[in-house]
Amino acid sequence: MNASDVLVVMRKELRETLRDRRTLAVMILFPLVVYPLVSLLLTEVIASKQTAGEARASRVAVVAVPAVGATAGTSPSPSPSDHAPADAVALDRLRAQLGAQLEVKGGNITLVAPIAAGTGADGQQPLSDLTSGHLDAVVVLEKPSQAAARGAPLRLRVYFDETRETSEKAETRVLEILSTILPPGCTRPYQIAVTSTAPKSKVGGYVLSKILPLIVVVMTMLGAFYPAIDITAGERERGTLETLLSSPVRRFDLMTGKVLAVAILATLTGALNIASMSVTVAEGAKLAGDGQALSIPWMRAGATLLTVIPAAFLFGAVMVAIGAMARGFKEAQTLLTPVYLLCFTPSLVASIAELKLSGLTLIIPGTNLTLLARDLMVGQATPLGAAAVLGSTLLYGGLALSFAAHLYDSERLLASTDGELVGLGAWLRHLVGRARQVDEVDEVDESARRSSSRAGAPAQGAASPGDAITLFGLAFILWFFAFTWLQRWRLIPGLLMSQWGGFLGLVWIYARLNRRPLRDVLAFHRPRLSAVGGAVMLGLSGWVILGVLADRLMPPPQHLIEEMRKLIRPPSGDRPLVVSLFALALTPAICEESLFRGPILRGLRQRFSGPAACLLTGILFGVMHGDIWRFIPTALLGALLSWVALTSGSIVPSMVIHLINNGALIVLGFYGLDQAAEKLRAPAQAEILVVAVALFVGGIAAIRRSRPPIGARQ
Amino acid sequence: MPAVIVERLMKLFGRATAVADLSFSVEAGEIYGLLGPNGAGKTTALRVLAGLLVPTGGSARVLGIDVATAPREAQRCLGFLTGSTGLYGRLTGREVLFYFGRLHRMPDTRIADRLAALSLALDLGGLLDRRCETLSSGQKQRVSVARAVLHDPAVLILDEPTVGLDVLASRFLRDYVRAERDRGKAIVFSTHYLAEAELLCDRIGLLYRGRLLAEGTPPALRARAAGAASLEEAFLRLVEQIEGRPSS
Repeated sequence: MNASDVLVVMRKELRETLRDRRTLAVMILFPLVVYPLVSLLLTEVIASKQTAGEARASRVAVVAVPAVGATAGTSPSPSPSDHAPADAVALDRLRAQLGAQLEVKGGNITLVAPIAAGTGADGQQPLSDLTSGHLDAVVVLEKPSQAAARGAPLRLRVYFDETRETSEKAETRVLEILSTILPPGCTRPYQIAVTSTAPKSKVGGYVLSKILPLIVVVMTMLGAFYPAIDITAGERERGTLETLLSSPVRRFDLMTGKVLAVAILATLTGALNIASMSVTVAEGAKLAGDGQALSIPWMRAGATLLTVIPAAFLFGAVMVAIGAMARGFKEAQTLLTPVYLLCFTPSLVASIAELKLSGLTLIIPGTNLTLLARDLMVGQATPLGAAAVLGSTLLYGGLALSFAAHLYDSERLLASTDGELVGLGAWLRHLVGRARQVDEVDEVDESARRSSSRAGAPAQGAASPGDAITLFGLAFILWFFAFTWLQRWRLIPGLLMSQWGGFLGLVWIYARLNRRPLRDVLAFHRPRLSAVGGAVMLGLSGWVILGVLADRLMPPPQHLIEEMRKLIRPPSGDRPLVVSLFALALTPAICEESLFRGPILRGLRQRFSGPAACLLTGILFGVMHGDIWRFIPTALLGALLSWVALTSGSIVPSMVIHLINNGALIVLGFYGLDQAAEKLRAPAQAEILVVAVALFVGGIAAIRRSRPPIGARQ
Repeated sequence: MPAVIVERLMKLFGRATAVADLSFSVEAGEIYGLLGPNGAGKTTALRVLAGLLVPTGGSARVLGIDVATAPREAQRCLGFLTGSTGLYGRLTGREVLFYFGRLHRMPDTRIADRLAALSLALDLGGLLDRRCETLSSGQKQRVSVARAVLHDPAVLILDEPTVGLDVLASRFLRDYVRAERDRGKAIVFSTHYLAEAELLCDRIGLLYRGRLLAEGTPPALRARAAGAASLEEAFLRLVEQIEGRPSS
């Protein structure tokens, strides 16, 4: 082996690969940003689910049925004549005693009577209550006289529905307690048996509903993956694109045809998976269960196909859109891999979290399809819910298709070159130093640059979109791998170090590398008075409106609210309000704004329209807060702050809003006023909301008035 | 009225000027050669003419249709042959031709009729039912030409169609282009093979760094360059005049 030749080849291959910025982004930024993000999301969802599951009390009925012993393993069906008066009294006493012990020992068990009064003892009504979901478990006792006649321990059977998680939980709780107690007056324990009331077809559907929706979505996406690449980037790479685009066919028609082709292939993949998996589950159960087949609800399995078609259309359109951006097959794979994972995440969350298909989940792409497939499989889907899911999915697919058609523009596809590729070192410098290069090339009048910057328009020397994404990636990596650790160590010192040294420090380093004053990077200009006034109004009102929105769209679990309260006011009570205000309001108002409304927003604005840049910055801002429950309000707040920064031409108003927003929440939490507000009557809450909306509208108007004159804009 | 009219065409890519102030026209029954070295702006000019790129300034018209404002209408009237053959390797030649014919909204019967005629003219006999990936370069180019002329357009735009072809295939293609010219087609033909242009073109526009250096018939261009012996020599002399130094 000639080591020199090996080195020559290796260096060339490394150089060539590392000059592909997108590959590098996927290699480095993707695993460091997306995986922590997905894990955060899943951890939160699982934790919330567990907390909610533990907090929910199981509804259990205790009834006595004489026929249980005679028909063990079957549903009890006694007749009233079976009850001798003496036994009935004994049973009532026994039921009461056992119920009391369940409540005392369980803590999270609520003993309830069956819905229909007077039928509790016949055994039939409780089981139908169990089936309907009114009860989570039913404990059925044998008549003492029967047990005595048999000379055996008293038989006790726990009925539950294995296709409901709450019922399974109730069964576990009941069994834990029953195993520790003895029948009154007896020295021998109960003879306990457990029976699931779910019919086999329901069990089959339940098993499938656990695995099939996620697998179907994943496989449908996979079915779309390679065809999408082949018909977009592949077409470009094979040199057929120019010929195709010279044909007199509208781009939208062209892309619709391509997306439909991908969707058909993906649908086929999804449908084959449903069929294959249903048969596999049925046969697998037969093998595992001594030849007893699990009944598959084929009609319902077939109904889940309903979700495959819109899923195929949506994922096909998204992947075709991404593929249309790529310059070749390899690049399309590089771009689509993270998209694949991101598309898969909502489905995974839906699958793990056992979310309910209602409200916001009806319109979250991916999540809604997974939940609908699950509900169809267990026969719980509603026509309205299905229509909402299918309609929103088709709408998203249509939007993605329009985007793909927009991207499949010959001007962009035929004109773009690889001319921007540079070496690794130069690339890293380029990421942080592009603005400087531009400055060196063009002598830009400082006042003109400032005025254009004030108007929110792209300015010479401003951050690039690459800078924005890189800064966000670095900040996120620091936050996830270092700052959270610092804050767990000591909250306030850790927070201050993270914010001042981390976020603001990052912006400062960026400005230094670009040889630009920090003021310019931040657009830290003296704002107009109307902008400050508007900011105060928005700061005072924004949190109210966002809070109401968050409660409507995605109400946070109670334990998170309690955690936030503890964060603001520790139970020890040893943190003064002023310290909380400094660390949790003023510090993020300066440091987070510097990062997000500074180079990130300005960089994105170079590539995107104002609204799109604001929305994207808001999303990144929401993501950085690393909390699924706070994502929507923080993302909306981030978008609002971005709009204010761009419109007013200064970062100061957005800092003011951020300060007042956080400050108001801290003061409320510190004095417990938030809990008092929750107890207000509806009219009083409505009055507060009306005042907040009025202030908000006034604030928006004031910010709009602060817009620099047209002549100062580009 | 000329079939193709290009007036003061300009195309910028960022700060780079690809084509500047380019004007020419092509009559029906004429082959107009757009000549120049690599990077002169030939392909960009032809892509604008084919409705693939939007001009930064000026205009380009095909049969009176502005390609910038009505690109689909213009594309119905023209056939565009790119530098690459632009065939789908996994489809047969017949499938490719039917596909593009249908995109031009031709009825299948008409496509079949045209295929029969083109099969004779371009000697496609055994090629149409083979997958395109199995064809040689020359065979692919013949199928590609059939694709470009399938809808019998009045204007043909041929972007370096002989690149990579052997002598026989190039000759065959040139003969076909002449035959189309004789059928009354207006043909814009780009190449950087000056000798080929001299053999084929009725008029020639010499393009250099996005600008038209000179235009005329091959003899007129040679005469204009102080009686140059060949078009190549004429081109070099004209470049020297622009640059103020001998070009390499």
